[in-house]
Amino acid sequence: MNIGKQFKEGLLTKNPVFVQLLGMCSSLAITTSMFNGLGMGISVTLILICSNVFISALRKVIPSNIRIAAYIVIIAGFVTMVDLLLQAFLPALSENLGVFIPLIVVNCIILGRAEAFASKNGVLASAFDGLFQGIGYTMAITIMSIIREFLGAGTFGGGVLNGGEGIRILPEGYPALQMVMPVGGFLALGFLIAGFQWLMKKMEEKQKEGVK
Amino acid sequence: MKKTSNVGYILRLSLTLLVICAVVAVLLAEVNAITAPRITASKQEKTAQAVAAVLPDGETAAALDTYPDESGIIQAVYASETGYAIQVAPSGFDSQINMMVGVSKDGRVLGVSIISHTETAGLGAVAAAKTEKGQAFRDQFVGKSGVLAVSKDGGDIDAITSATITSRAVTSGVNAALQCAERLG
Amino acid sequence: MSEYMQSLLGILLSAILTENFILVKFYGICPFMGVSKKTDTALGMGMAVTFVMGIASAATWAVNAFLLIPLKLEYMQTVAFILVIAAIVQVVEMFLKKSVPALYQALGIFLPLITTNCAVLGAALVNVQKGYDFLQSVVFGVCGGLGFTLAIVLFASVRERVDKAECPKSFRGFPIALVSAGLLALAFMGFSGLKIF
Repeated sequence: MNIGKQFKEGLLTKNPVFVQLLGMCSSLAITTSMFNGLGMGISVTLILICSNVFISALRKVIPSNIRIAAYIVIIAGFVTMVDLLLQAFLPALSENLGVFIPLIVVNCIILGRAEAFASKNGVLASAFDGLFQGIGYTMAITIMSIIREFLGAGTFGGGVLNGGEGIRILPEGYPALQMVMPVGGFLALGFLIAGFQWLMKKMEEKQKEGVK
Repeated sequence: MKKTSNVGYILRLSLTLLVICAVVAVLLAEVNAITAPRITASKQEKTAQAVAAVLPDGETAAALDTYPDESGIIQAVYASETGYAIQVAPSGFDSQINMMVGVSKDGRVLGVSIISHTETAGLGAVAAAKTEKGQAFRDQFVGKSGVLAVSKDGGDIDAITSATITSRAVTSGVNAALQCAERLG
Repeated sequence: MSEYMQSLLGILLSAILTENFILVKFYGICPFMGVSKKTDTALGMGMAVTFVMGIASAATWAVNAFLLIPLKLEYMQTVAFILVIAAIVQVVEMFLKKSVPALYQALGIFLPLITTNCAVLGAALVNVQKGYDFLQSVVFGVCGGLGFTLAIVLFASVRERVDKAECPKSFRGFPIALVSAGLLALAFMGFSGLKIF
């Protein structure tokens, strides 16, 4: 077990959104304000940790033929719990994220980590994997939310700061509304992944030079 | 020999899945028992706040059991001394807009408050926003009576920029409430 | 034309165009990006999704109306729906393999992917949220699938060309595909507001 390596993988080299390209639906759909991005990220992280721990603990009990079905039931259970808790304690967030909360069930990140990591590793390592992958996801969609909110609505921290209105940076009339519409989601993610690939390449080159 | 072991294997598969489902179901039932009362309470509180926002004496308003519903979008009617708070759900751009309209006894709009919606952020969502723009849009309805329409349709309600459908939906909700209040007298 | 027919037509139009599952609602982006490198595989995936979504909408509606609501188990919706969908995908796969091998050849490889396609679960959940009846649910499911097919086939044909075009190194592959999907979504925005009254 190597926590440092897992941490780096989750945030950078194997970032679930920018590198593994998992969980696209939610990262495109709900990233219109910082509140949504953070809320979704934290919900997914929680579910990811819980499902990873359970699946890892049960990995020797579940026969491999029905493992996918079993994983899905476990994940769906946790998702429903988070859904109910959000409805009860954070109704505003639950309303904003809408159907995308139950849709976390089919978020490929969770099933993907269950299959690729939790089904093969110990409970503690799986918990950390869930945590770091979750943080990587949260980071990615929060960055995307901040960019889209800034360009599309001209504010920062919508839903959290300044009584929910966000701090206005661009005067009204200037922001390009398209950025908070579906188009903006695709464009923002496309440019972010391109930027990320460029950054990774730069880092690799630097490392190579260092070795020489 | 092989057949029995096969049956045993399938039995084991189904049993494992069954046990997992059962455990999940029991856990969810527990969580639901804890959260359900809170969810209902927060929904009721939101409705009560909306009633208070559109009627001056909203705290004393009580729900009516029967009310005329010609438009088919009226969800509930609360009556008080000064008038009615009518909950309507017209179809907006994305899906239904859940809103409360206050109507005085003489058939004028006292206030409009949007309870929940899923309109586009920055466009249709302005109708519900607590911003100056949103307030200005909702305040246009206050004091009006009869059948209203947005300016594009020849009325005197100024639609929200690039959100004509949302504006039309809110206007149709107000119309339905006015009509309902007129029938109630 | 009766009002009910109008509502069905409205659902049809909105599911295919104005509320396109992929380009407007963002349900099912993973297969949209993953299986859109070639037009014919994209068409296969689209047909498979449409088929499963139609059946799944009908089945989840029945489960919800006859099982979950009478038993007051609405909070089990997500769990029940995903199980039903997984089972349907399994059954469809076995049935096609045995009875219609030609169709299985065409759609078979896509079927396992569909369980985790959020378009299918999304359709089932939206049906409940909007309170559609049986027929409306099925129409919504099938038309949502057709909308998915339309988007993925259009996108695949764009992508076939984009892959051959030159673009900055960092944009190669996925990022440029996302940008083209964005432009396609921009085109679909033109449909917004289209409604039958």
